[in-house]
Amino acid sequence: MTRAKTLLAVTILSAALLWVFLEMKPAVKPISLRFHALVDGEPLVLDDMRYQNPGGDGQFKVRDFQFYLSNIRLTGPGGDYVLPDSYHLLRFDGDQPYTEIRLPAMDASAFDAIHWGIGVDPEANGTIKITGDLDPNNRMAWNWQVGYKFILFEGGLEDSEGFLPLVYHVGFDENYTPQSLPFAAAAESGEETIVRFTVDIAALFRADGPLDMVTTPSVKFDRDDAARIAAGFPNMISASQ
Amino acid sequence: MSKKFVIAALLLAGGAVYFLAGMPRKATTPLADFTVPFVYGHFQVPKENPLTKEGVALGRRLFYDPRLSGNNEISCATCHQQALGFTDGLKASVGASGVPLSFNSMALTNLLWGPQRFFWDGRSVSLEDQALNPIQHPDEMAQDLDALMDELAEDETYKALFDTAYGGISPEAVAMALASFQRTLVSANSRYDQYLRGEISLTPEEEKGRKLFMAHPDAKVAQKGGNCIDCHSQFLTSGFSTALDGFSNNGLDGEDGLLPGLSAVTGKAAHRGFFKTPSLRNIAVTAPYMHDGRFDTLEEVLDHYDSGIKDSSTLSPLIVEADNQPLDRRQRGQISLNLTADEKKAIIAFLHTLTDEDFLTDPRFSNPFEEEAGDDAR
Ligand code: HEC
Ligand code: HEC
Repeated sequence: MTRAKTLLAVTILSAALLWVFLEMKPAVKPISLRFHALVDGEPLVLDDMRYQNPGGDGQFKVRDFQFYLSNIRLTGPGGDYVLPDSYHLLRFDGDQPYTEIRLPAMDASAFDAIHWGIGVDPEANGTIKITGDLDPNNRMAWNWQVGYKFILFEGGLEDSEGFLPLVYHVGFDENYTPQSLPFAAAAESGEETIVRFTVDIAALFRADGPLDMVTTPSVKFDRDDAARIAAGFPNMISASQ
Repeated sequence: MSKKFVIAALLLAGGAVYFLAGMPRKATTPLADFTVPFVYGHFQVPKENPLTKEGVALGRRLFYDPRLSGNNEISCATCHQQALGFTDGLKASVGASGVPLSFNSMALTNLLWGPQRFFWDGRSVSLEDQALNPIQHPDEMAQDLDALMDELAEDETYKALFDTAYGGISPEAVAMALASFQRTLVSANSRYDQYLRGEISLTPEEEKGRKLFMAHPDAKVAQKGGNCIDCHSQFLTSGFSTALDGFSNNGLDGEDGLLPGLSAVTGKAAHRGFFKTPSLRNIAVTAPYMHDGRFDTLEEVLDHYDSGIKDSSTLSPLIVEADNQPLDRRQRGQISLNLTADEKKAIIAFLHTLTDEDFLTDPRFSNPFEEEAGDDAR
């Protein structure tokens, strides 16, 4: 072989390799998990007496809604990914119509399922360790002998008899609810892969039959009441495309 | 659920310090012995203004120096006195003009935690940003910044201190030094802290008060509660640091009397009458109480929470709902904690355990000019 031919062959081969490499190189980008809060399928509007008492008379408003999500894990043909220190406080009073959890740069197509727990796992709930969004001086802490509220819902109801404050502070170890959902990119931008979820607050008041907020305007330390609200955890978050 | 007394062990494990890395200037020394209780949680020192020995020393001097005011009579310490938990004992503070301010002086304690917005209405976003406000305010220190720079430049001691700490005199350097000194004002050795560290036990009355303070009531499971922890966090006793959770309306005024409060900053009607939930550390020595100093004693404060709450559209639902009553005896529109006289006394006894004599007398936080005068006399 002449030198020219060798050079040509090497060039063609390298070009081909480069092409194959570029073609196969997965889209490694940060993943943005976006959670959109809803009430009965409609985007949540805070501080507005617009929602119907699910099991009785009157209208209610949501003043604050936040909850903990723990131990995010991705699985799929491409392997497993476990997010470290994964304790996230999701709240919906920011400027954006969603709240976001950012995962490091990865190829999202390697995974087809996402797993997490609603609430705080018993082990973490039993310490005052400061990891992720767990902070014993935050609003979600009951006190150090009890642990964290998993869900905080505060608001008010108005019916013919007037105003009634609503306080649902829900969560004991036994209410921790692992959940798995399909995982698929909803959108790609140059910088990130976006995966969307919806959080329907109404699920909390429907799981065990529609709750009458007038007869149960608050849920705190009563374990049966807590279990009744927590029965809605599995239906609260859905994957959306 | 297991009881969590691991806390004592964790506390003993010592102070964890979280610095947002940032290299101090060459000539400066990072503050070495700055440790804080683990249970206070994360805090952030701005990268641009790391805590240094020199910055803190300069800040302390500035804090106590009346030359910072236009008439050279008022220092920060005029309204923020160490023995009073860095408050002034007045209903409304009085500065250079003699015209009382519209607000009660705020305690400067554990400022690294809790809401990272400052002033009762949260209008300032950092201690650096806050510091130049009182200096220039006509009713506080009434000082022109340019004039202050000239005055400081005539003082050889200040020139040297500013040069080492910040490479020269500037309003920014004044702000950074004051902020640094104030960040070191950590109170962590009250009887409550000693109790948390497992070193002492509280008296039965204090313990009863602690339990009431730390519980939201739930009559359904026969749990009495004073509700305080709903807004004053369990270890810091300050408002919460997340988002704007550290601001709320605790029922001081009815709808018509609501001041703008936080809504002046956010523009949201839902924040009318919201004020910063203050830390209750050293509360027994920081009377009078509330943003306008309307209560002279802790007894009045407890009477307020128990039976003096005024209803309004932004009143915290947690206050309305916390009535220690079974549902069938609940009266709509009646707001009360329904505490007994003994329970109120117990909560006050607990509040007294938050007094930290070491903090109130710590020489590191005291007037450096008096110290120097003492040295000279020796
Ligand atoms: C004339 C009295 C007076 C003087 C002098 C004064 N302050 Fe204050 N300080 C107050 C009052 C009153 C407030 C609350 C004001 C408000 O919310 O509008 C306050 C609030 C503060 C706060 C906010 C604390 C918090 O938790 O949000 C800080 C920090 C502070 N002062 C630091 C200083 C510093 C530093 C100086 C000196 C440069 C100073 N003050 C001088 C009266 C004074
Ligand atoms: C809904 C939230 C909330 C609850 C519940 C609450 N506080 Fe407060 N607290 C605040 C706010 C906000 C302020 C400042 C209000 C103002 O001055 O406008 C405050 C101020 C105070 C002050 C005065 C502090 C100072 O430096 O002037 C004391 C003392 C106090 N609270 C004690 C308590 C006690 C004891 C309880 C329980 C019985 C309690 N608080 C319950 C929010 C709350």
